Amino acid sequence: MGKLSKLPKVYLAFVFIVLYTPIFYLLYYSFNSGGTMSGFESFTFEHYAAVFEDTRLIMILFNTIIVALLSALVSTTIGVLGAVTITFIRKKALRNAILSMNNILIVSPDVIIGASFLILFTMVGVKLGFASVLISHIAFSIPIVVIMVLPKLQEMSPSLIDAAIDLGASRRDVLTRVIIPFIKPGIFAGFFLALTYSLDDFAVTFFVTGNGFSTLSVEIYSMARAGVTLTINALSGLIFIVTLLLVFGYYAINRKSKTPFSGVRK
Amino acid sequence: MKDIIRVSIVILAVSAILLFINAKLANTSGTSGKNSITVFNWGEYLDPDLLKQFEEETGIKVIYETFDSNEAMMTKIEQGGTTYDIAVPSEYAIEKMNESGLLLPIDKAKLPNFQNIDPYFLDLAFDPENKFSVPYFWGTLGIAYNPKLLEGQTFESWEDLWDPTLEQEVVLVDSAREVIGMGLNALGYSLNSTNSLELEEAANKLKTLKPNIKAIIGDEITQLMVNGEAAVALTWSGQAADMMWDNEDIDYVVPEEGSNLWFDNMVIPRTAKNIEGAHAFINFMLDAEVAAQNADYVGYSTPNLAAMNFMDPEVIEDERYYPDEEARDHLEVYKNLGLEMLGTYNELFLGLKMELQ
Repeated sequence: MGKLSKLPKVYLAFVFIVLYTPIFYLLYYSFNSGGTMSGFESFTFEHYAAVFEDTRLIMILFNTIIVALLSALVSTTIGVLGAVTITFIRKKALRNAILSMNNILIVSPDVIIGASFLILFTMVGVKLGFASVLISHIAFSIPIVVIMVLPKLQEMSPSLIDAAIDLGASRRDVLTRVIIPFIKPGIFAGFFLALTYSLDDFAVTFFVTGNGFSTLSVEIYSMARAGVTLTINALSGLIFIVTLLLVFGYYAINRKSKTPFSGVRK
Repeated sequence: MKDIIRVSIVILAVSAILLFINAKLANTSGTSGKNSITVFNWGEYLDPDLLKQFEEETGIKVIYETFDSNEAMMTKIEQGGTTYDIAVPSEYAIEKMNESGLLLPIDKAKLPNFQNIDPYFLDLAFDPENKFSVPYFWGTLGIAYNPKLLEGQTFESWEDLWDPTLEQEVVLVDSAREVIGMGLNALGYSLNSTNSLELEEAANKLKTLKPNIKAIIGDEITQLMVNGEAAVALTWSGQAADMMWDNEDIDYVVPEEGSNLWFDNMVIPRTAKNIEGAHAFINFMLDAEVAAQNADYVGYSTPNLAAMNFMDPEVIEDERYYPDEEARDHLEVYKNLGLEMLGTYNELFLGLKMELQ
C-alpha cells in the first residue's frame, strides 16, 4: 500500500474524532466541581477521590475485572480445544451441525441467554452470585473464541501435522508444539474479544447477579432513576487510562521480545 | 506455548490479588461476619453514609444491591436464587407482588419509629393497613417549564400544554401510563380509567397535541431542560428537582385538574433470610434524623413527618415538592389495572407515538 491520499486521511480523522469525542467529553466533566455535566465550573479532583472512598464501587470494579479475566481465560481454553476438535471431525454434516449450533449462540439475543441462565441456575439450585456470573460469562464467550480460532486452524496445512507425526511427535506434541503455536494469534484475538465481551455485558449479567455480587454495567444501569453521578465519569476516566497503559505495555513488550503475539513466522 | 502459559499465570495471579483485596475490603466495610442483610434498591436512592451508620449501630452488615425497574426487581425475586431481605418497589408493583405472594407481612411491633410517618401516606389502596409495606419516598407527576424561554408563560392546567405558542416545545416522558394518564386528567377523567370510551377520547385529545410535541424520551429530559434545549416537560417531581438544582430558571407545577401521586415503599420479600435484621433496617430508615439526611441526599420527598424538623425549612415549605393537603386531594395513585388493561394503555401510547412519525 502506498501513501494515503488526502481524502482517506480526512475520513480516517473524522472517524476517530467521532469515536473519541464522547470519551473525552466524559473525561473533561470528570474534573468539574459543578457536580453535573451541564456546565463546567472549576477544576477539581473530588470525583476521583470519591471513587477511592467508595469501597462498594471499588469492589464492584474489581469484581468486574476478575470475572472478565477468569471467564476469558477459561473460555479461551475450552474454545480452543473445541475449535481443534471441530476441525478434526471427519463427517462434514456433523461438523457443520456443530458449527451452526455454535453460531446460533453468537446471534441469539443476550436477554434470552440471560433469562434462560437465570431459570437454569434457580432450577439446579446454584446460588446467584460470583459463580453464576462467571459460569454464564464463560458460556457466552466460548462460541466467540471458537469463531476467532477456527479460521487459523483452517489456514493450517494438514501436511504440517503429517510431517510432525512422521518425525515421531506424539499426539500431545502435535497439539502443543505444532497446532497451538500456529494458531496463537487466533487464541489471543479470542481471549481479548472474550475479555471485552465480559467487561461490557449487561443483559446476561443482570439476570444472574445476586446476593451482593454485582458488576459495573449493572450498577451503572441501575442509577437511571436518580441520575448518573460524576463519580462514574471519574471511574470511566480511570478505566480509560488503565486500558491505554495496557495497550502501550502490550506494544512495548511486543517490540522488546521480537516474538509478537500476532503474526507467527511462516 | 510458553508465552501462553506465562500469560495465563499472570492472569491467575492478578485475579487472585484482586480477590484478596476484595475480601479485605468486604471485611473492613462490615463489622461482623455472619449477621447481615441484603438490600435491593434503586440506584443512587440511599445515602451510603447511612449504611455505615446502620452497621455501626446494629452490628448488622448490609449487602447493598441495585435494580433499574420494578419489573426487573420482581423477576429476580420471583425466580428465587437470591436472598433479598429488603426491596423498594413502587405502589403498583407492591400490589402485584402481594397478589403473587412474594411479600412477607411486616410486624409493626418491631418498628417503634413507624409512628413518624405522616398518616396521609398510610392505609392506601395498594396496601390497606400497610400489612406489607412501609413508605420510603413519594412524589408527583407534573409540568417542568422554563419561563425564560417562554416569555413568562405559566402553567396551571394540563390544557396549557395545548397552547398554540408552544409549537415544538413540549417533551414527554416515554411511559404509557404517565402520558395516557395526562390525557385522561386533561379531560377530567380518572387516571385509572378502564372505560374504553374515555380512553379513546384521551388518546384523540393527545393526538391534537402533536404540533407541540418535541420528543418522547426518557432520562435525557433532565439534560435537555437544563441546557435550555426544551422549554416544557411532562416529568416527575424528583426529576424536576434535579433540573432545578442545575438550572434555577426552571419551575415545576402540578396541574390543578389532578395528577399522579406515586410511592416507593420498603417491603420484605418472600426470599428474606434475616427477617429480624430487615425490621431493624426499616426501623432505622424511619428514624427522624436518618430519614431527613436521606431525603437531603436523594432529593425526593419524604413521608416522614418527624424528619421535617431536621430538614431545611425552605425545602419542606416548597409546595412543589410538599404540596399541601388541598393540592394532594386532586392527586391519584395508580391502581394495578391488570395485564389486559395495561396492554390497552400501551397500544394507545404506541398509536400516539406512531402518529408522531
